[in-house]
Amino acid sequence: MKNQLRIAFVCSAAVALFASTAWLEAQAPRAGQIQQEGSIAPEAAQGRGGRGRGRNAAPAQPTPKLADGTVNLGRVAGEKGIWNLPYITNMAQNVVDPTTGQPIPEIAAARAAAAAARGAGGRGAGGGTRGGGGGGGRGGTKSEPWMPFQPWAAAVYDYNSKNESQYDPEGFCLPPGGPRMFATPYPGEIIQLPEQKRIVMIFEGGTHIWREIYMDGRQHPSGDELNPTYLGHSIGHYEDNNQTLVTDVVGFNENSWLDYFGHPHTGQMHVTEKFTRPNKNTLHYQATVDDPGAYTRPFTVAWDIAWRGDGELSEYICQENNRYLNRLTDDFGQPVFGPKTPGIKPAKPTAGGTK
Amino acid sequence: MRSGLFRLVTLVALLVLPTAAFAQFGHPFNSPYSGGWGKDHANRLLIDPHWDGKAVTGTINSGGATLNITSTTFDYSDPAAWKVTMKAEGKDAAGKPVTATLAGTLENIGVYYKIFSGTITEGAQKGDFVVTRN
Repeated sequence: MKNQLRIAFVCSAAVALFASTAWLEAQAPRAGQIQQEGSIAPEAAQGRGGRGRGRNAAPAQPTPKLADGTVNLGRVAGEKGIWNLPYITNMAQNVVDPTTGQPIPEIAAARAAAAAARGAGGRGAGGGTRGGGGGGGRGGTKSEPWMPFQPWAAAVYDYNSKNESQYDPEGFCLPPGGPRMFATPYPGEIIQLPEQKRIVMIFEGGTHIWREIYMDGRQHPSGDELNPTYLGHSIGHYEDNNQTLVTDVVGFNENSWLDYFGHPHTGQMHVTEKFTRPNKNTLHYQATVDDPGAYTRPFTVAWDIAWRGDGELSEYICQENNRYLNRLTDDFGQPVFGPKTPGIKPAKPTAGGTK
Repeated sequence: MRSGLFRLVTLVALLVLPTAAFAQFGHPFNSPYSGGWGKDHANRLLIDPHWDGKAVTGTINSGGATLNITSTTFDYSDPAAWKVTMKAEGKDAAGKPVTATLAGTLENIGVYYKIFSGTITEGAQKGDFVVTRN
């Protein structure tokens, strides 16, 4: 009996160990699957849809409203529907002028050059996703000089670029952090609960996670009461005659990247989001990232999210039956999730490594 | 013997469990490191740095007085192996000023177990050190 208990305990520990470490790469496709998504003007997005799973959006229809005239950011009663979140791999390519909402000149010029190259039969510049910089692997910081990196953040980004996001936490099935939640290509819903003065956002991807946005006028907790989390603490209000939802988010942990390309952030990150619905089939998302711990000034990103009128959320468990991560090794060839001996620096692997 | 093995397996499992849950991808010196220095790294070395957005503050302790980090400089020429010089000051038990300098390389930047290794000089003592992010 005693031995059986021991075996059961060891098995339980092994299962728990596996469950905690066996995150799969499904959330963040590897190097060969990289896509690039540009910022789309709301009118242009109609009928195009995002890069998320499923079919594109239907033709435009008027923006649905709640009973009091507030923009309805979710379903119309009696209908189905989900937001088809796009796959934004590199948010630096979606930086906009916060006053106009249009891509900054550098990005607009790069897109024009890429379009011209395509028109001439070339492959185009690709918006700086690969090559052309000194980061190795992808372009790194040199391919996006408009990003206001602090030196350490630039080094981290170049490192992530050089190894092609090998250590992407979302690839380990850890939740996306901050705006990345709206750039992870799985369905999402926004459920407004005006009588409760809160909004709930539910995401199929990102390890099946949700957000709660308090609309009751409260402030963020302060000090130790602000518990750092992946999606932070959100408070919100409406602007523009109740047609724009504005959220203020703080209290992020440091367990995530801003995007698949590996833009880092710190716990000092403060995000201001704006959600508008210019028509039934389009959600326009804009986020201003102010992180003095990693960037020298704020920057704003934006993109459109398409409505899929026949969609519903499905069950999706990121870590289920994933054994891939057990093969991941670090820069020294040691298991990323395996036991380590503190203080012992292992020999680096020879050329070629074991990754 | 079997009981010892059982305890070891359980301990290892419990130690490893938090690694996935407490990853850290912000500034590498915004979390504590521990390890050793000197012969066989037998002397304990603790570094508890904090990144405030402009500078690294915090403390180091090599077995004597706890010293306050006064400056940290970085060379990011190799994004995968940062050259770091960390200086700290304090006073020993007798009230005498003590300074320490850790000069080395920060590696394994992208994963939980970041490694900082190099040479530590504290007062008249000098030796190699290796610390790993806790």
